[in-house]
Amino acid sequence: MNFKMDVRTFEKDLPIIDLEGEVDVYTAPQLKQQIINILESGAKELVVDLTKVDYLDSTALGVLIGGLKRMREVDGNMVLICPSPRIRRVFEITGLDKIFDIYNTEDDAREVMGKEIE
Amino acid sequence: MPNNECPACVELRIPCKPEYVGVARLAILGVASRMKFSYDEVEDVRLAVGEACTTSVEWAERNGKSGSSIILRSEIASDKLIVDIIDESGPRNEGAVSETEQEPENLGALLITLLVDEVSVVPKNGGTSVRMVKYAGQ
Repeated sequence: MNFKMDVRTFEKDLPIIDLEGEVDVYTAPQLKQQIINILESGAKELVVDLTKVDYLDSTALGVLIGGLKRMREVDGNMVLICPSPRIRRVFEITGLDKIFDIYNTEDDAREVMGKEIE
Repeated sequence: MPNNECPACVELRIPCKPEYVGVARLAILGVASRMKFSYDEVEDVRLAVGEACTTSVEWAERNGKSGSSIILRSEIASDKLIVDIIDESGPRNEGAVSETEQEPENLGALLITLLVDEVSVVPKNGGTSVRMVKYAGQ
């Protein structure tokens, strides 16, 4: 199975999850656990980078919705980076593009998060 | 439909487990690529098949049937691709599932409806059979 996940931190307080490959019923539980770990560490903001994702299913969407919901419960936010039209289409046809803040580049996502921190 | 009546049938049996859903997606990608589908249409079929298999896997887990199989049967016709996903995952008793658990599954069902032209879901021999039809050049 082609799936990779890395977590890094931008300027010490903005966690970014980099995903690569296929996020589906088999791999999405790893993403779910990672989001829970980040939430439990007290982070109120999170960026999930889908730039290198080439497949995303409803299980992955469910995990992302759960993450967003929990972030908003603590007055935080979770944004997505998704320049791929194919992956973005999954959000569009399900109407989830209206719920998530989706950006084309990491710079755009970080800028928005920076503004929210202020 | 017996194979002798379906010269362009491709069948695959996979374990009803999360790690094998990707195998079904790969297989249908190969089949759909033989049709006069656009790149996006091939992707639609791949995602729809992945969603149908994922639903089978989730019901098998809930019903303690993870040792069962999923049969993927595809039939290439001149103008359409017919895909059957047949599982032995037990009954799909929606009432037994909490609202939170249902969320991704509802999304899966929604995606299938949006990605293919026809969908039918019928209970079959201790499981469920999902038939999806995608027309070429629509």
